[in-house]
Amino acid sequence: MREMSRKPFVLQTILAVASCKFVRGLLRRTGKGGGTALPGKVAMKFEKDILAQTSRGMEIIVVTGTNGKTTTSNMLEHALTAAGKDVLANKSGANLLSGVTAEITCSADWLGRPKKKTAVIECDEGALKQVVPLIRPKVIIVTNLFRDQLDRYGEVMHTLEAIRTGIKKVPDSILCLNADCSLTSSLAFDVPNKIVYYGLNTPLGEQDDQAVSDARHCIRCGTVYQYRYHTYAHLGAFRCPKCGYERRDPDVAVTAVDSITSRGSIVKLDIDGQPWPREVKIGLPAVYNIYNAAAAIAAYRAFGGRTEEVLRSLADVNSSFGRMETFMPGKQTVQMILVKNPAGCSQSIDYLTRLEEDFRLVICLNDRTADGHDISWIWDADYEKLASDAHVTRILVSGDRAEDMMVRLKYAGIPEEKIALERSNENLLAMMKESPLPVFVLPNYTSMLALRKVLSDATGKKEFWEKQG
Amino acid sequence: MELHICHLYPEVLNLYGDRGNILCMKRRLEWRGIGCSVTELKIGDRTDLSGFDLFFIGGGQDFEQEVLLGDLHTGKDREIRAAIEDGKTFLCICGGYQMLGNYYETYDGVKCEFLGAIDFYTAGSETRMIDNYCFRLGEESGGSVVAGFENHSGRTYLGNGIRPLGTVLKGNGNNGQDGTEGVRYKNVFGSYSHGPILPKNPDFADVLLTSALNRKYGAAELEPLPDTFEKQAHDSICDRIMAGTMSAD
Repeated sequence: MREMSRKPFVLQTILAVASCKFVRGLLRRTGKGGGTALPGKVAMKFEKDILAQTSRGMEIIVVTGTNGKTTTSNMLEHALTAAGKDVLANKSGANLLSGVTAEITCSADWLGRPKKKTAVIECDEGALKQVVPLIRPKVIIVTNLFRDQLDRYGEVMHTLEAIRTGIKKVPDSILCLNADCSLTSSLAFDVPNKIVYYGLNTPLGEQDDQAVSDARHCIRCGTVYQYRYHTYAHLGAFRCPKCGYERRDPDVAVTAVDSITSRGSIVKLDIDGQPWPREVKIGLPAVYNIYNAAAAIAAYRAFGGRTEEVLRSLADVNSSFGRMETFMPGKQTVQMILVKNPAGCSQSIDYLTRLEEDFRLVICLNDRTADGHDISWIWDADYEKLASDAHVTRILVSGDRAEDMMVRLKYAGIPEEKIALERSNENLLAMMKESPLPVFVLPNYTSMLALRKVLSDATGKKEFWEKQG
Repeated sequence: MELHICHLYPEVLNLYGDRGNILCMKRRLEWRGIGCSVTELKIGDRTDLSGFDLFFIGGGQDFEQEVLLGDLHTGKDREIRAAIEDGKTFLCICGGYQMLGNYYETYDGVKCEFLGAIDFYTAGSETRMIDNYCFRLGEESGGSVVAGFENHSGRTYLGNGIRPLGTVLKGNGNNGQDGTEGVRYKNVFGSYSHGPILPKNPDFADVLLTSALNRKYGAAELEPLPDTFEKQAHDSICDRIMAGTMSAD
């Protein structure tokens, strides 16, 4: 009973764990959604730092940043599982302290000891400083920084500082940083952590200095960056001509993109400066998934895994919860692509406009707390590309702020006759069942949750928690 | 007829979708067959401002606003003040609005000298005023209701005799205390409203455009547009803001 004498309040731990499991089970049985955060809040009432106990001894990778957290986590979980590990992952996107606590605590035994040895944890940028001191991760990935929920964080710089605060609390964690993001790379200044960089060594897309940028000016001295090449938004080979702050050579570098289609990409890599002998297939489409894959490779290696294993698993990685999921309620496919901010939205629209088939589009815009009350980001995303895309036959607009979205589309140059308001998810489902063309949906977070439930009920797709073993 | 729009500091003062205001003005002019050019004036650019009819200045991050002050002192500050006195039309949002005042004083007492084009000042506070809000424009600005989104910790206090842009119907506005929102000085329209402010407030957008056309061509009347989507958005959002049912949990 050595544990009893070191922790005189073991009863608190048992109550915390028990209440967590009980509340989660209750919420799921009564059909009130995934029960993701409330169980954690209840557990923390009994023991504030319960997460430190229920994660003790686990080997954990944390994924944070503006875009790509869930997909990168999904890629890592897929790779680790394929390598035979029993992995815990917070699947639902509940990535604040309460959600992470719920996930890890519910997975522990009744005495609060972890049952699984490995975890991949997606963590919100603002919550990082609360979460990492408790779980002491082996690896932390920072994917990128873009303007996102501005009314929650204030500004991109505040988000960066919040992440930096978190990192400083865990000097032993290995950082995997996006070399192409000048904001993310600046996390390397003055920290003792070991750092692994990932990025693209090759230009992509329009080489245009005018793209909307959250990071035009050098973070150290304020001078405008010069770029040898761009990949998208403010990502690329940046260099400050005044103080010399510049992109570091990535340890995991994509050196060529041989093909990019709606089914995925084929790339060439250098690992630690040496070309990888084979082409690598990435099973999810678009540029941002090339970045997510590079992040996953870097983190998997930093975690101690073998390169061949992660490369092999990237070829058939599944789409994550709502991020790029495909359903088939009728004869045609319905693909949901979660968007939350201008960079992600513009990338998704770019992907749609490269498709060679006619399609219908559904755009859903909510403004609940989890989405961010300020929806003005839609005016920074490039809907103009849809105006010149002849394959878009019809656009249905849904959600709390559908009317704002309709105004946005009109000013983007889309003819009013193509745009219609449809708030009911049931009616959207009926349209999808009868549609003679594939349907693509661009929802933001809470509208995705609601529509996804309707679609998965109709198609019998499993709830996300049923996917776990 | 045509208008030349100058977008000041687009690379620095470009947060919160405010460039949607430029897009809105462009389209509304195009739909009436009125020509329109938009010129960006960045840090380090020098151009004669007298060729422009309408100026837009948006909001930004504190970090980058410092870089901007240095550039203003190279002469742009004098030119902006001259254009304002000359009756040119200005739409200034949040940081761009604050910049026109005498100074900004931070919560811990640090004072930052601004353009001094209009008699007001802004004091930083510890709390942020963030929410959807509504205000009614003053009579000289058309008297319509504007639905917008404010996000600022600065509290602006207008000097004696300086008229606000409007009166707050729901929300904080300039300082959360005196019920004023923004400033109207000659043809300067300053406001805290993001949104962006113009697209779903088409009456206000047209007031702005008319003020620039009037100054350039004498009397000018804009042909009314059907504005179906705009009115739908405006009316439903105003109703919900006033009823307090925006942005549920």
